[in-house]
Amino acid sequence: MAAADGVSLGNGVARLRASAGGWALSSLIHHGRRVGRGGSGVLLSTALLLPLLTACSSRQDADSAAGALPIGAVIALTGNASVIGQDQRIGLELAEAAFAAGAPALKLRLEDGGSDEGTATNAFRSLIAGEVVALIGPSLSQQAFAVDPIADRAGIPVIGPSNTADGIPEIGPFVARVSAPVSQVAPLSIAAALRLNPKIRRSAVFFAQDDAYSTAESKIFQKALSARNLAPVAVQKTSVSDTDFQNQITDTLRRNPDLIVISALPSDGGNLVRQLRELGFQGTIVAGNGMNSPNLYPICQRFCDGLLIAQAYSPEMATPVNRAFVAAYGKARGGAVPPQFSAQAFAAYQVLAETLRSLQASMPKGSSLTALPRPELRRRLNTALLRGRFETPLGQIRFSPEGEVIQNDFHVARVRMNPDGRSGRFQLLPAGPQAETTPAP
Amino acid sequence: MDTALQILINGLSTGAVYGLFALGYTLVFSVLGVINFAHGAVFTLGAYLTYLLLGGAVGANGLLAGLQLPFTLPFWAALPLAGLLTALVSLLVEATAFRPLRRRRAEPLLYLITSLGAGVILVNLLQILLGAEGYSLPTTALGSLPITLAIGGAQVRSVQLVLLLVAALVLLVLSLWLEGSRGGKALQAVSEDPTTARLLGIDSDAMIRLAFAVSGFLAGIAGGLVGLSLSISGPYFGISYGLKALGVLVLGGLGSVPGAVLAGLIVGLAEALVPAEWSGFRDAIAYAFLFAVLLLRPQGLLGRPQSTKV
Repeated sequence: MAAADGVSLGNGVARLRASAGGWALSSLIHHGRRVGRGGSGVLLSTALLLPLLTACSSRQDADSAAGALPIGAVIALTGNASVIGQDQRIGLELAEAAFAAGAPALKLRLEDGGSDEGTATNAFRSLIAGEVVALIGPSLSQQAFAVDPIADRAGIPVIGPSNTADGIPEIGPFVARVSAPVSQVAPLSIAAALRLNPKIRRSAVFFAQDDAYSTAESKIFQKALSARNLAPVAVQKTSVSDTDFQNQITDTLRRNPDLIVISALPSDGGNLVRQLRELGFQGTIVAGNGMNSPNLYPICQRFCDGLLIAQAYSPEMATPVNRAFVAAYGKARGGAVPPQFSAQAFAAYQVLAETLRSLQASMPKGSSLTALPRPELRRRLNTALLRGRFETPLGQIRFSPEGEVIQNDFHVARVRMNPDGRSGRFQLLPAGPQAETTPAP
Repeated sequence: MDTALQILINGLSTGAVYGLFALGYTLVFSVLGVINFAHGAVFTLGAYLTYLLLGGAVGANGLLAGLQLPFTLPFWAALPLAGLLTALVSLLVEATAFRPLRRRRAEPLLYLITSLGAGVILVNLLQILLGAEGYSLPTTALGSLPITLAIGGAQVRSVQLVLLLVAALVLLVLSLWLEGSRGGKALQAVSEDPTTARLLGIDSDAMIRLAFAVSGFLAGIAGGLVGLSLSISGPYFGISYGLKALGVLVLGGLGSVPGAVLAGLIVGLAEALVPAEWSGFRDAIAYAFLFAVLLLRPQGLLGRPQSTKV
């Protein structure tokens, strides 16, 4: 029912936009003779704008006409999380190019989900109205809790490329993710910190309380710390829009922690790291998955050096698919090494593309997936996706029946800044006695 | 004691920036009676310009990816130059978003819409050209000044002291100019009564442009100072400062220059005094404080009571 409503709504919107341009033109002709100079200027502007809208909405018709199945992606290209979205955009574009050949033809439809639930909701609705086969996104777990139910009700498979908070796959049967949950990944960085400095005795925690991912990850961090008799001496709550942390830092440093654990996004987290170091903290800093991006470097600069961050991706993994991905990324980005968010976005597109290709291969000769009614195609895609195994840059992954990613390879990296203080790299640490591979659930 | 000193310095430096920012609103409000919603965007531009003039490079995600100016200025030159450039942009905003409406004697509400539009366009242009990454001004921007200074047992970031001193200097110079120069007095005359000022031979239009230029300069300086202290978290980071400064403007009294300064300091201190565990509610506490003051004194701290002729 919901899927049918979504389809009819989409068709209605398309017809409205198509007719609006014609309406505007006839209005201009009829009224333009009657209004003064200012009024005709307004009508002219309106008439010029409306065809643009019509052209945008006709994109879906062009995709369908060409036989390309559209895959929608909603990522944060603006706002606080845009540094994550920009990494993801590169991964998606590389994946689109990598899977350009073959049948069925696929087309990436990218929309900006911003860094808030409202923008992501509008983007999801726009793509659903555009009859995409599946959705990738959004960038933030906070957004996913708001928008994934919309896609699920519409019967559209949605793959989270970077949603790591607990409870995401449980939103509905059409929701899955390629980003390993924080409960699996976060404790690895605590273990690595203690291996590097066994003398750590006192810890403190900072987390952005208005963000679902940060809150969920911080609970995991605090649990991991308590399990090692390192219950935090201070738990500081921040906000993703904060830039000034001096009050919290002053309060924390009074308690002499030698380990600080941060769950935040790159913008606020990078600032926090910088201010911590500037105010004299010399101990170990562990950062969460939200700060897992080279876009951190311009913010905390040389103060980023030494940060420990658990990784669900290693650019050094010597698999053919990862080598090809790293080479493509380096070619596109002047020799740079791909970050985790790019690899996960690539993997999200890859699992959809490979599943669609295998579905096409299983069709009777002469028939095409594009001929299937869209709701039927989405159902088949979702079913096949959850049964598949995929060799991705993240390693081999598959999904649980609930849509949770099952991944075996995890790592911990330490940020190493170059002498210029503006660039750096994520240096993977060697696996410790408790190897950084987590058994599949 | 050391914590109290840190909080005091934090609060005063933050408040000084709020005051600078709010003064820009005040100057435009005093001559036109409207709020310039593009002020936050000009503030953001000031931060980016300061970053570029200090030798910063544009990240990889804008149209100007990799751009870096062929020279590097010391902070003491970069900041005022950024201010001058934002003054020019502010004049452009006046020419496009305010002057056409003023000539048509438009309703004040329309100025809010056009200035908001100008601000949105400016911010989006910044994003298209420079990308949405965050930047920090170089840690070496202050030369050989140590990163932290020990004052009375407290570790204070030297950038906070620089921020406080520069803001205080700018405010002092502005106050002297307003009170002691022909231009400043002419500006005050136009803000009192534009019609009478015109009759006395003062070019009101020129004074309005001057107000915008000075307002833009202040926004640019404030943006550069915040960028130095707290980093630039993206093209939209000026929005929260803009909203906060509006609160400061109202708290100080619409159109009151000393009121904007005093209110800025008060709001900065109030935020700094919020306990660390409640820092997530800092903005709510600041606005609650504003609300409480306005209930007692609707004209703001130093504003003039509005009287209605009957």
